[in-house]
Amino acid sequence: MKNPVPVAMSFEELEHTADVRLRVKAGSLESLFSEAARALMVVMYGSAEPGPMRRSIEVQAADLISLIHAFLSEVLYISEVEEMVVSGAEIRLSEGRLEGELTGEPFSPARHRSGMEVKGISLSDLAVSRDNHTYILEVIFDV
Amino acid sequence: MLQGVKRIGPYEWEVPVGYVPDMRVPGRFFLSDRLAETLEPGAVQQLANVATMPGILKNSLAMPDIHWGYGFPIGGVAAFGMEEGVISPGGVGFDINCGVRILTTPLTAADLVRKRELIETLFSAVPTGVGAKSTLRLDQKELLGMLKGGSKWAVEHGFGIDEDFLHCEEQGSMEGADPEAVSQKARQRGMPQSGTLGAGNHFLEVQLVKEVYDSAAARAYGISEGQICVMIHCGSRGLGHQVCTDHLRLLEGATRKYGISLPDRQLACAPLTSPEGKAYFGAMASSANYAWANRQVIMHMTREVFARMYSIAYEDMHLVYDVAHNVAKFEEHTVDGRRMRVCIHRKGATRAFGPGSPDLPQAYRKVGQPVIIPGSMGTPSYLLHGTAVAMERTFGSTCHGAGRVMSRTKAKKQISGHDIKEALGKEGILVRAHHNGAIADEAPEVYKPSEEVVRVVHEAGISRLVARFAPLGVIKG
Repeated sequence: MKNPVPVAMSFEELEHTADVRLRVKAGSLESLFSEAARALMVVMYGSAEPGPMRRSIEVQAADLISLIHAFLSEVLYISEVEEMVVSGAEIRLSEGRLEGELTGEPFSPARHRSGMEVKGISLSDLAVSRDNHTYILEVIFDV
Repeated sequence: MLQGVKRIGPYEWEVPVGYVPDMRVPGRFFLSDRLAETLEPGAVQQLANVATMPGILKNSLAMPDIHWGYGFPIGGVAAFGMEEGVISPGGVGFDINCGVRILTTPLTAADLVRKRELIETLFSAVPTGVGAKSTLRLDQKELLGMLKGGSKWAVEHGFGIDEDFLHCEEQGSMEGADPEAVSQKARQRGMPQSGTLGAGNHFLEVQLVKEVYDSAAARAYGISEGQICVMIHCGSRGLGHQVCTDHLRLLEGATRKYGISLPDRQLACAPLTSPEGKAYFGAMASSANYAWANRQVIMHMTREVFARMYSIAYEDMHLVYDVAHNVAKFEEHTVDGRRMRVCIHRKGATRAFGPGSPDLPQAYRKVGQPVIIPGSMGTPSYLLHGTAVAMERTFGSTCHGAGRVMSRTKAKKQISGHDIKEALGKEGILVRAHHNGAIADEAPEVYKPSEEVVRVVHEAGISRLVARFAPLGVIKG
């Protein structure tokens, strides 16, 4: 069987008057979660580069939408209390459960002050879809 | 105007039952023709969605600063019956008790020398921006005190004077706070952030009373033309954000458990009588108290800077009032001629109690509650008073601010923070922030004109103008 063409992970900002609305794309569900975490950090801190920090993460939820909501909310929490700017995640997904490791760099006031404070991940219009080999997430961050 | 929306008065519009399926009551909103030009269909849809929630009374309402949010629209107000009604974090938002207060000083414009130094000193005294840390060193016990006591706790700990908490909505301390319902995660986030301003649209602004419209009300509030005042706008920081996140998840489960069907998952809710609903209320009230204490601590820092720089007495700077913009509360209102207790949600809206309300300090009772409407950066802010009309029409509520019209993506493309800073500087308005992006994002052009929003609430009678404030200098996150 031929391997599918790898889909580059990416995110873009969509129009939203009050908040930040993003479309995130990736070639697998796992990498979609990872890219969404990085996108959240770029919004919050202006940049999110790979670094030496590692942190385990585990969340559970009733369905995929709740799972991605719980995951991003957990990344937001970890980032704030552990002063970690997350650049990606190596995760495993199984029935309503996510386990894995976040990677990133320590928060530096000099380099990470050009973003916006994200207050929370909205459940309104949170959606995951699939187009051939591309997984697409749409999400609104309250800022 | 959007198809299906009916005009019912010069400034009032109705969204009839059936606009979205399962609406229980009509939606109503207040808007002028000029503001109607920028009304988003998404905001009206959200207003209609709220009308589908169990136990909603009279109308799903929105103030003239209505815009597209998540769950409720921003500017949304809804009251629910105590027995059949629900409570929802989607009607409060992530920033629980984001609110605003105004502090007077005995100074006039002529006394305000060394303005740049003042703004710089305020900027170093008040921690601002993403990742800012508190100068307070709270332990668990003190945090608990803050969650239970709000402004009162702060005053008792030396961050103010007794009259301060009397001049807050709910006396700066909401009953029914249950810190047990506030998770460890939320506490962990709240501990290092008490007394920090935050980022985004939060600010501390030095202002000049430019014009008084109602001298009797202004006198009662201690405001006079030419006076220097300070406006403080912030909320419950990471603690409140985490409470919303935690309880949103719990209430999603409760929505299923109680068989409630909703058009938007962010409206997740539970009956007011259920354990889940009660837990959210207790955690939300704790967060509201945290926010009141937070604004009190920031006001204390501000008073200390002014006292030091201008040799004025700390006690000569008076808190006019403090109002919440994002909150759910129990209040008494008259519904269809019957006096009843309701759970009112205000999301980006301000309480505007009319004259005679027992909740107001004695000195304000004749005039009605002070209503503080911050302008966007560089534009005027307003002080109004609550009215009997608001009590009849909007469950004692009015607008909370200007309301955005331009998205952040557009703002970033079209506006340079550096240029804005320079342009405002030419008008004598100093802006201090950690980075220019924060300035572009909150530039005057991205908001509806505050004077038009305020004109609508004044003309509609849901609050009446008292005074206008011009910005002199602002610090931002």
